[in-house]
Amino acid sequence: MGLTALLARVATGAPVPVFAVAGPGTRSLIRDLRLRPEIRLVDTPRPASVLLVGGLVPAEMEMAVARVHDAMAHPRATVLWSAGAAGLGRPEGFDDAIPVDGDPVAACVAAYRDILVGRRGSEPPILPDVDPAPWRGVGPYGQGGSGMTGGVPYGRPMAELGPDPDGLRLDVLPVAVGPLFPRFPAGLVVDARLAGDLVLEVEVANLLANATAAAPSPEADPFLRALGERVAIADLELARARAHLRSVAEALLAAGLEALALRALRIAANLRAGDGALVRRLATIISATQVLRWSLRGVGAVPPEAVAGLGAGPVARASGLREDLRLEDPAYRDLGFAPLVDAGGDAAARLRLRLGEAVQSLDLAARAGARAATATGRVETPRGRLEAESSASERLFTVLPSLLREHEWGDVVATIVSLDLDLEEGPLARGRARPEAAA
Amino acid sequence: MIAGPLVDATFWVFALGSIVAGYRVFRTDSMVRAAFYLLASFAGVGGIVVLLGAEFLGMVLILMMAGEMLIMAIVMVMFMMNPAGLNPMVMVHQNRRAAVAGIVAFVALAAVGLLGNFPARPVPDPSTATAELGTELLGDSMLVFQSAGVALLSTMIGAVVIAGRKGRFGVAEEDSIEPSLQPDEEPGR
Amino acid sequence: MRPYVGAEVALLATAAALVAGVYLVAVLDRFAAALVAGAVGSWRRLLVVPLAAAAALLVQQRRTTERPDGAGWAVAPALFFGLAAFALALVPLGPDLVIADPSTGFVAFSAAIAFVMIAVFLHGWSPNSPFALHGAYRYGAAALSFQIPFLLAMLATALPAESLSIVDIVRAQEPAWNVLRQPLGLPLYLVVGVGVSFWGPLNLSDASDVAGGTSVEDSGVARLLWTIARSAMLVAVAAMGAAGFLGGWWGPILPGPAWMIAKTGAVLLAILAAGHLLARVRIATFVLVAWAVLIPLALLNVFVSGAILL
Repeated sequence: MGLTALLARVATGAPVPVFAVAGPGTRSLIRDLRLRPEIRLVDTPRPASVLLVGGLVPAEMEMAVARVHDAMAHPRATVLWSAGAAGLGRPEGFDDAIPVDGDPVAACVAAYRDILVGRRGSEPPILPDVDPAPWRGVGPYGQGGSGMTGGVPYGRPMAELGPDPDGLRLDVLPVAVGPLFPRFPAGLVVDARLAGDLVLEVEVANLLANATAAAPSPEADPFLRALGERVAIADLELARARAHLRSVAEALLAAGLEALALRALRIAANLRAGDGALVRRLATIISATQVLRWSLRGVGAVPPEAVAGLGAGPVARASGLREDLRLEDPAYRDLGFAPLVDAGGDAAARLRLRLGEAVQSLDLAARAGARAATATGRVETPRGRLEAESSASERLFTVLPSLLREHEWGDVVATIVSLDLDLEEGPLARGRARPEAAA
Repeated sequence: MIAGPLVDATFWVFALGSIVAGYRVFRTDSMVRAAFYLLASFAGVGGIVVLLGAEFLGMVLILMMAGEMLIMAIVMVMFMMNPAGLNPMVMVHQNRRAAVAGIVAFVALAAVGLLGNFPARPVPDPSTATAELGTELLGDSMLVFQSAGVALLSTMIGAVVIAGRKGRFGVAEEDSIEPSLQPDEEPGR
Repeated sequence: MRPYVGAEVALLATAAALVAGVYLVAVLDRFAAALVAGAVGSWRRLLVVPLAAAAALLVQQRRTTERPDGAGWAVAPALFFGLAAFALALVPLGPDLVIADPSTGFVAFSAAIAFVMIAVFLHGWSPNSPFALHGAYRYGAAALSFQIPFLLAMLATALPAESLSIVDIVRAQEPAWNVLRQPLGLPLYLVVGVGVSFWGPLNLSDASDVAGGTSVEDSGVARLLWTIARSAMLVAVAAMGAAGFLGGWWGPILPGPAWMIAKTGAVLLAILAAGHLLARVRIATFVLVAWAVLIPLALLNVFVSGAILL
């Protein structure tokens, strides 16, 4: 046996490096895959060997998925996971991809083994290898530039001089991040103009706005049902606590605390109504990591007037607003529900509030008994007010640029993570309101 | 002072490496590469200084140059409208004058090296060389070095103050007016 | 420069220490992560998975970007690893058991630490990629800030020894370890040591909010080498911490080298555990703290140590 073959055999024992794309409806399912030791979700496609695409990727994102695919090192394979939806679509160009309905992890492991030992060929690139702009042979070095500042060297636009908040004039580089940046919700594109690590100007886009979600995840399902029918408060609050813990796990990941994020995800996966003490203990550990102080304090300040009336849920409540649809529900009033409010307004306050609300929700779930929430066509989800036509995260989009402008990139990421944007809710709710559109 | 074929080989590696890297500084087409070639050249010289028995000086040369070249590279990338300095550009100008100055300097230094009368006593143990340097710095020449140090520090603080946005007469770009030196003159800008 | 052993033995010893150290870092890091995550798997898995992951990277293609600086990209991990080896070679296992003991060992170690800046910047700049360059900028800002407190913290250990030689610095700790004589020294040194190998709370340059920073474009062998170099530097930093502050080979009953290895392992475990228990600092906060808090503390440390000796 040759050395390469031997190494390949040994390599099959390694966790499969997977770059995961969460199509609409699979967000929380993909996040929970971190708990599986057989695979390792990686932040960049370069070292990934398996591309896992969950759900039906909207047409607006297909190009990004193809580019991620082509950025992966050989040998590589793609697994298309239907995630419970019937009739899986296949993005254009993914003819060799492996479709799977059941456990995606087993499919990833099998695909990885096959490409390592050569039972399966590595997938060729999907997109043609063309320059982003014509440049070859232009300019003094044939690099496409002219002099120090002009042209499109190697097909890339040059950075341009622009003022920065220190009163200097330095170069400003346009960088578009998303829609598959692992710290952002899938579908979010942040088009930033960077001066060093400072975001001077920013535009945001939501590529999931017109998506048709096939099936809601177990996390979103109770809230979507509550739009039109009476759902048990115990179910709603347990789902809310889970969602908050998953959001906390994302914040921990962004702060470099992967192991602790796994602990939070594990608690979320096995959560029961009586687990308040478990969450409180997690909150104590999180407080000891200083994440609420030196990572997030003062980061992503949201002034209350910016989000008042948007129904932004925890984001509003962490800025001192007493906005919560549950206040209007007699069933919740019966339980003595009073929303938690934090006046901090920064990312630390939002993390603190979500941990507090998770404990509160578990307490509500334990005491709710057979009570059911009143169906009013609107529901307070873990992200805020969800209506048939729009979600809290979609309404937050209008104020998002003003929250990100003139902050360092690290703070921009922490801010977006702390807002816990969920771009699936809107399409899911609209699909429910107009079933014929989703079909 | 240590000697032997390994030391000789090391010397030649450092010496030739320094010369090649120094040459590449002027032949490369990127500011960052130029800075790193210059650093490699300096590191080679630092290595030779260590081989010559001045361990402390050689190590400090390498230590200081690392930080300096990094700052130089970052500042150049920041001020040049060029993503990461990877856009090729001409790194030399005033070629004729530079060539003349370079040749004159080389001839002068070579003359010093070849015609100078160097003492032929062996270098003492490196550890005593370090101790002697310390005695020199904080002994007889202390006043000179400390004055130079304080002068450099105050220059740095002054430079930061001058470069700062907020000055004595208001924020720099906000139409601040300096008072004139003459009592009846218009304030200058 | 007194060579204690032959060049071949020295090279072999350094290589062996690095290989063992890098593997130890991989296993201990996984162990600490599993403890924090609340699910320790089997020991066999803990020991085997790092090797399998390394094999997986070895059989993976090494991707390049469009128009990178190929030479810089290839040199960076080698330079980083070489610096780690250089730094580790300066650390004595015992009074006569050291690969290199230059009279200016302290300065040589500091020069290696300073050169890490170059390796990391080169690694981030070469791939011609925004996030990689971003990581390089971050490391530059952080490293320029922690160089001075680092030099001052190390300098204080040279005062009682009246020498810049690492062996002399350890020898002078026979009456009392520096961690007792200069209680500020070890924390200051560890902050910087974690920063040098950008681990845990100070992993600014290869952080998750820039999708891996300087290593965002690395795959295959390039990624493996970078990981190995980082771990090797962590080993060197831990070993120097044990020698400079925890009394090196001094200790009862056990032979000197055993103490040295045990102390290095303890420092490593502390650093790795902290990596999973402390959140990453904001770069702005860290730079401010380095200049406004760490430097005054380090100066205080030097002055107090000097005053005691006088």
